Amino acid sequence: MIEELRKKAEELLKNGTVKVVFGYGEGSTPERTRPVFITKPEDVNKLTWNKYCVYNLTTYLKRQETRKLGKPALILKGCDARTIIVLLKECQIKREDVYIIGVTCDGVGDPLATKCEACDVHTPLIYDDLVGEKRENKEVPFEERYAELDEYEKLGEKEKWEFWQKQFEKCIKCYACSNICPLCFCDRCIVEKNQPQWIDPSAHPRGNLSWNVTRAYHLAGRCINCEECQRVCPVDIPLNLLNKKLAKEAEKSFNYRPGYNIDDELAMSTYKEDDDQDFFK
Amino acid sequence: MSETKFEPKIIAFLCNWCTYAGADLAGTGRKQYQANVRIIKLPCTGGIDPLFLIKAFERGADGILVSGCHPGDCHYNSGNYHARRRWNVFRPLLEFCGINPDRIQFSWISAAEGGKWVETINSIVDTVRALGPFEGYHKLNTIGPEISGEAAAPSETG
Amino acid sequence: MEKLLNKNNFDSLITGLKKQGYKTIAPRKDNRLVTLEEIQDANEISLDHVITNNSIKEYFLPKTEKILSYTIDKNKVEIEEPEGFAVKSVIFGSRPCDAFSLPVMDKVFNWDCVDKFWVERREAVTIVTISCDKCDSYCFCTSVGLAPDAKQGSDVLLTKISNDDYLVETVTEKGENLIKELESVFSDPPSDTPDRQVATVEKKFDISKIKPWLDENFEHDVWDDFSNKCIGCGACTFVCPTCHCFDIVDECTMTKGDRVKNWDGCQFKMFTMHTSGHNPRSTQGMRWRQRIMHKFKYYVEKFDSTLCVGCGRCSRVCPADMNISEMLEIIETEAGK
Ligand code: SF4
Ligand code: SF4
Ligand code: SF4
Ligand code: SF4
Ligand code: SF4
Repeated sequence: MIEELRKKAEELLKNGTVKVVFGYGEGSTPERTRPVFITKPEDVNKLTWNKYCVYNLTTYLKRQETRKLGKPALILKGCDARTIIVLLKECQIKREDVYIIGVTCDGVGDPLATKCEACDVHTPLIYDDLVGEKRENKEVPFEERYAELDEYEKLGEKEKWEFWQKQFEKCIKCYACSNICPLCFCDRCIVEKNQPQWIDPSAHPRGNLSWNVTRAYHLAGRCINCEECQRVCPVDIPLNLLNKKLAKEAEKSFNYRPGYNIDDELAMSTYKEDDDQDFFK
Repeated sequence: MSETKFEPKIIAFLCNWCTYAGADLAGTGRKQYQANVRIIKLPCTGGIDPLFLIKAFERGADGILVSGCHPGDCHYNSGNYHARRRWNVFRPLLEFCGINPDRIQFSWISAAEGGKWVETINSIVDTVRALGPFEGYHKLNTIGPEISGEAAAPSETG
Repeated sequence: MEKLLNKNNFDSLITGLKKQGYKTIAPRKDNRLVTLEEIQDANEISLDHVITNNSIKEYFLPKTEKILSYTIDKNKVEIEEPEGFAVKSVIFGSRPCDAFSLPVMDKVFNWDCVDKFWVERREAVTIVTISCDKCDSYCFCTSVGLAPDAKQGSDVLLTKISNDDYLVETVTEKGENLIKELESVFSDPPSDTPDRQVATVEKKFDISKIKPWLDENFEHDVWDDFSNKCIGCGACTFVCPTCHCFDIVDECTMTKGDRVKNWDGCQFKMFTMHTSGHNPRSTQGMRWRQRIMHKFKYYVEKFDSTLCVGCGRCSRVCPADMNISEMLEIIETEAGK
C-alpha cells in the first residue's frame, strides 16, 4: 500500500496535477508519524502508511503556510475525507482545488482510537483516487455509535458538574484543540476577541468553562469526529465526549450527520418548520 | 441573624417584536408579576448567541429566559426557527455539563400575550427559587471579580 | 551532607513534611498523565515515569494569577495587592532538568524588574529532585550541558542506588535544613561507593555549534521548511519549563476588577499582532525561528545561559511532531556545511 501511495504521489507531482502532496511520514519514534509535504517527485519515499497515521491532514487546508505550497493532493482516511464534504458545503474550498487520494483504513491508533471502533467509513465517501482494497462501509446503529456517552449521560446533575469541572480545571488555554481542528477555521477565534471580551482569556474555572463549552458548541452539527482535538490536548481533557454529545443531539433532532452527504443542508444554517420544540413553553 | 429570603436573579433575553411587546402589554395592563426579572431586548431571538447565556450566569444570573415570536410570526421571517435549532443542541450540552436545564427556559410569547408573559415569569421565578442560587457557577469566579448586578466596564460593551 | 532514604520511609517523610507545615507537591499518576500535584499521602507518588507531563514552572509562574485587584469610586481608585501567594512547600521528585530551569529563569525574573511573585515563591519552595534512572528518545539534557543527575537548581538530590534505597545529597543550605528538620527519616549513607542508577542520555548535538550559526542565519530556508507542519498551537511553550512569556489582562466591571497574568507564547499568531493589523511575525516560520532564537541566541547573549534544559516536553506534546532536538541537529549539520 505504501508503494502504491508513493507511486500515485509521484505521478501527480510529475504530471503537474498538483504542486504538493500532504501525507504521512516517519515520526520522532516508531509509534508516531508526522505530516509531510512532498513537493518534489524524488521525495515521495518519505511517505509512509501505518496504524499511527492518526492526523487529519485537512487541517492544513486552513493554514496559509501550507496553502502557499500550491494545489495539494491529500492522503485521506474515510473519517478525514468527511471533513472535505463539510469544508465544501461551508464554502472553504472548491472541489477542483484539492485532489483526494483516499485510503481504505481498518483503524488507527494504538490502542485503537475510539472513533475507529464505530467507523462506518472504512472506504472514504469522496476521493479522486482510492488506494487500498475497497471495504464495504457497514452501517453502525445509532446507539452503538454514541455508546461512549452512556455512562456520562447517566450521571446526576451534580456528578456531571463535578466531573466536568475537574476536567476543565486542567485546561491551560493553549488552544491546541482549536488550532488542530480542520473545521475551526476562523481567522480570529472568538476567544481572541477582546472588544468585547466574551470569553475570559484566563485559564481559571470560569474562563475554562466558557471556552470549552463554546469551542464544542461552535462545532455542533459540524464536527466530523476525527478526535484530533482530544488527541492533542496536553492535559488530556476528554473533548470528544462534548463533541459526540452535540453530534448525537444534532442527529437526533435534525436527522443530520456532517460529512456524509454533500446534498444535505448544513444543520445549523437551515431549519425545518416542525423542528422539535417540546422544551418551549 | 435573620434569614434573608433568596430572591433569584432572572435575566430575560427578549425579541423586540413579540415578547418585549408582550411584556409591555402586561405593564400597561397593570398586571402584577414577580420583580425578579431583568430584561435585555434584542431585535430577534435569532441574534441571541449562546454566549449571552454563559455571560449571564457568569455575571450572577440564577436563571435565564429566552423568548420571542411564535413560529411563523418572526419579524425577520426565520430568526426564531434558527434560534430553535441552536437551543435544540445547546440546551443538552449545558445539561451534559451539569447545568440544570430548568435554569434556562424558552418560550414563545406574542405581543398580545401579556397574560402568558406574567405566567411565564412567575413560573420561572418559582422554579429557580426552588432550585436555589446558582452557587456552583457563581463560585467559579475565583479569580475574576465577584460580579453581581453591576454595569459592565466600557470595554465590555464594545 | 549525604544520607540514605529507604522507599519505605517515604511515608514518614511525607507525614513529616506535613507536620513541619510544608505543602507537598509530587508526581502523581492520573489516567494517561503523570503530573506534579499537591499530595496528601506517600502512596500517591508515582516513581516509574520518565518525566512529568506538566513542568515545575507552574508552581512559580502559574498558568493564571491575580496580580492586583482594584475598585474605582467616583474620585478614587483603590488597589489591593494579593498576599499569601508564596506557600511554604516542597516539590518532591521533580527531575534535574526541571530543577535547573529555576536558576535559568531567576535571571530574567530578577532582571530589569524584580518579579515578586517569582522571587517570593522561590524562597518559599524547597526542591527535592530525583535523578533520572530512565529516559526516552526525547530527552536531550546532556546536549545542553546538563545530566540526568545534575544538581543545579535542586536543594536536595536523591539518586537511586538500589531497588529501595536513594542516596540523599544536599545541595544548598535550604536543603540541608530540610534534611535536618526530618532527620529521623534518613539513615547514614553506605560507607562504600554506591552504585548510582542513572540513565544514559544520548548526546544529540554540539551546543557550541548552534549559536554561531544562529548569529548568521536569521534568514534561512530551514525555518519555513521545518515548521510547515506546525499548527501554531502554543502547547510547546506552555509545557516548557523555561518559556516564561505572559500576558496581562483586566477582568473587570465598571467599578472593580482584577489584573490577571496569564501564560502566553510566541507560537500564537496573536502574540505579536499590532493593533493596526500588521504582524511583524506573520508566518509560522518566523514564530518558530523566534522560539529557537530566544532559547539558543538571545537569552545566551543577555543572560549567558541557554533557555532550554533539554526536557523534551515540547516535542513529546507537539500535535504535529515538531521535534526541537531534531531542529538543533539540522542546525548543527548546516553549521558544518
Ligand atoms: S472538533 Fe475535534 S473531532 Fe471535531 S472536527 Fe474538530 S478536531 Fe475533529
Ligand atoms: S487543548 Fe486542552 S488544554 Fe489546550 S485549550 Fe484545548 S482543552 Fe484547553
Ligand atoms: S511546534 Fe508543535 S506544539 Fe509548538 S506551536 Fe507548533 S504545533 Fe504547537
Ligand atoms: S524547549 Fe522543549 S526541551 Fe527545551 S526546556 Fe522547553 S520544553 Fe524542554
Ligand atoms: S520561546 Fe517564545 S514563549 Fe518561550 S519564552 Fe521565548 S518568546 Fe516566550
